[in-house]
Amino acid sequence: MSDSKSMDKPLDCPERRNFLEKATAVVGGVGVAGASWPFINSMNPSADVLENAISEVDLKVIEVGQSQTVSWEGKPVFVVHRTPAQIAAMQASKGGPDPQEDTARTQQPEWLVVVGLCTHLGCVPTRDNEGWLCPCHGSRYDNSGRILHGPAPANLPVPPYKIVSSETIIIGVA
Amino acid sequence: MAKGIISWIDRRFPLTAIIKHELTEYPTPRNLSYWWNFGFLAGFVLVLQILTGIFLAMHYKPDASMAFDSLQTIMRDVNYGWLLRYLHSTGASAFFIVIYVHMARTLYYGSYRAPRELLWWTGQVLLLSIMASAFMGYLLPWGQMSYWGAGVITNLFGATPFIGEAVVLWLRGDFAVGDATLTRFFALHYLFPFLVAGMVVIHLVSLHTVKSSNPSGINLEDKDNIPFHPYYTSKDGFGLGVYLIIFCWFVFFAPNTFIEAVNNNPANPLVTPPHIVPEWYFLPFYAILRSIPDLLGGVVAMVMSLLLFAVLPFADRSTIPGGARYRPIYRVTFFLFIADIFVLGYLGAQAPTGYVVPMGQVATFLYFATFFILPIVSKREDKWLRARLPQELLAQFDRTNALAKGQNKGDAP
Amino acid sequence: MSRLIALALCCLSYSAWASEEHKLAKVQVRTDVQSLERGAETVISMCTGCHSLKYIKYRDLLKLGIAKEKVNSWRGSNPPGTSIPSQMSPEVAVKGFGSIPPDLSLMAQARDGRANYLYSYLLGFYVTPDGKSGNHLFPGVKMPDVLGIAGARTPEERAQIEEKARDVTSFLMWAADPHEQERKKLGYYVIGYLVLLTVLLKLMKMRIWSRLRNN
Repeated sequence: MSDSKSMDKPLDCPERRNFLEKATAVVGGVGVAGASWPFINSMNPSADVLENAISEVDLKVIEVGQSQTVSWEGKPVFVVHRTPAQIAAMQASKGGPDPQEDTARTQQPEWLVVVGLCTHLGCVPTRDNEGWLCPCHGSRYDNSGRILHGPAPANLPVPPYKIVSSETIIIGVA
Repeated sequence: MAKGIISWIDRRFPLTAIIKHELTEYPTPRNLSYWWNFGFLAGFVLVLQILTGIFLAMHYKPDASMAFDSLQTIMRDVNYGWLLRYLHSTGASAFFIVIYVHMARTLYYGSYRAPRELLWWTGQVLLLSIMASAFMGYLLPWGQMSYWGAGVITNLFGATPFIGEAVVLWLRGDFAVGDATLTRFFALHYLFPFLVAGMVVIHLVSLHTVKSSNPSGINLEDKDNIPFHPYYTSKDGFGLGVYLIIFCWFVFFAPNTFIEAVNNNPANPLVTPPHIVPEWYFLPFYAILRSIPDLLGGVVAMVMSLLLFAVLPFADRSTIPGGARYRPIYRVTFFLFIADIFVLGYLGAQAPTGYVVPMGQVATFLYFATFFILPIVSKREDKWLRARLPQELLAQFDRTNALAKGQNKGDAP
Repeated sequence: MSRLIALALCCLSYSAWASEEHKLAKVQVRTDVQSLERGAETVISMCTGCHSLKYIKYRDLLKLGIAKEKVNSWRGSNPPGTSIPSQMSPEVAVKGFGSIPPDLSLMAQARDGRANYLYSYLLGFYVTPDGKSGNHLFPGVKMPDVLGIAGARTPEERAQIEEKARDVTSFLMWAADPHEQERKKLGYYVIGYLVLLTVLLKLMKMRIWSRLRNN
């Protein structure tokens, strides 16, 4: 709030005035910044949306060899109860273009949990015995969710999850 | 660097010239009191209402089956949703307090008088738009008071001769206030503030053409004017600080003061709450409406009570410029008028039984009488004062009047 | 004092209450977790038989600070994200009472007098001469006297029920506006900041305007 016209007039104490001006500007600036936070934060996910960030899955209903799709953060998550044969095959392989150990992708070998969105353009791959095939552009994933061939650049990501008991896992909590 | 950018802009847009003309060299009377802060405050409140409104609209659902619930989601689940909502609901009342004070100041100091008639009239249009905006916004929470208030007010349009029923039906888009009404009120409630903002620009252009009035009513010499910036920017800044302290006290410690308890019940078309009252800022006009036993007459009276303000520049026939500063009779009239508005406001909140009705009729009569006696009173007061006030002062008055008529300064004695 | 007023309330006849002038007992609403927990306990055991609290979820009670075991015992097999339901189906309610009992989430803010109304209402039950249940604040009330104020014989019994009513009121006040404490806490900082800013702005204004006097 300075104007050159008034600055040439003799002032009683320019230093103090400058200090006052700066202090007011700083305090005012802090206030505007602080006041803008509630507005910005109101656009972040609200409490009822954040509830979707944690999903509980009942493992009892998923038989060996079966897969269930559950919703987590509004996205599909595949929970697969793998057969011993599938486990053996997966542990023997390192996948395709994005090599990774199967053990690094599971907490317990019989349970595979992956986010079911193709890493290419976000379609939901369809399940078959070999793993998944993306219907959009034909990316092929194995039973560890690893990309084998097709346009997708990476393996299906593993969400944070916790195996609470032999009956339940919670997705969204590491 | 900064200078370079500014001169680059100046070659394409008169930025520096505008700042000079409207702020750093804009001449303002040096004797403006704090009552002159309220125009700036009204602008601030408008901006805050628009901001909080936009962010609330990101979470609000204008659907009869979801509106009430979405408001509860805002209050409970949205981050700082409660703050946005309370800022907005308290802001609505604050808006009217600020505007009413702004208007009262205009009346008291006679700021509406020549050459400021257009300034006054654009202010009237602003007031009506803000009232419409507030009324439509009040439906959005979809509470009992929202619902029945909107029902009663839209019914008033049923007083339109011949096509009343059709008008009401058209306004609501339904046989009663319903989903269609809510959705259109939301659409218009979102639109209106931007129209208001546009009209504020017109109001300001008009102000900067005729310049501010001042407490004395006498137009000041050039040497008595000071630039708006930094003098009035700093004064407005301090005023804003005081305003924010009071406003935030209500927002954080008593936000429910301005929210009717009944409105915390979801709208129910089958049950009318026992005592419907409009928001406090409509109460005086509501009292006028009720004072006329006939629906059409009541509506006309209520509309006239607002529109009559427009005749004031002609109704005040005094040759002494300004308002109450040199005019004791005008001052008394002003205070009686304000007191009458308070009485009307009080009566508007009461159930229409017993003394309330006749007293409301008396107050309504006095309200309108003020407009009709003002020409006579001001003329007589003028005669009386001219015989008593010192010659020097009278000369100053005449100089101001000459200026108001657009005559050359040199012509004045 | 409030007890005295409540007593006085109960002595007044119905006709006095039909008039506009309701004198409500003033209640000091509590905000400590223990009181709210007691209130929640009472509400869930005595009120949710007929009333729902649709804007309060079990997880909100956890966030409030009520022990997990307690909340778990209330919610049973419902997930923590469920809102507190009424045990009575709407059809049964309409059959039994002729209407659906109102939701309680906002009840503490939904009547003129707000907390005081709710408190006075809970303590406003009395037995009519023909042996029915009446309420001073709500003629034609259909809700039974759940706290049993009409049957209280001794001052101690009465005091106990008043405590209960106060806890219920406090809990429902929280339910109507769960962010109230957060809001007030933030309010102190905001007002404190604004006072500082306003002082600075006033100094600025004085300094700038002092130039006028110097010339």
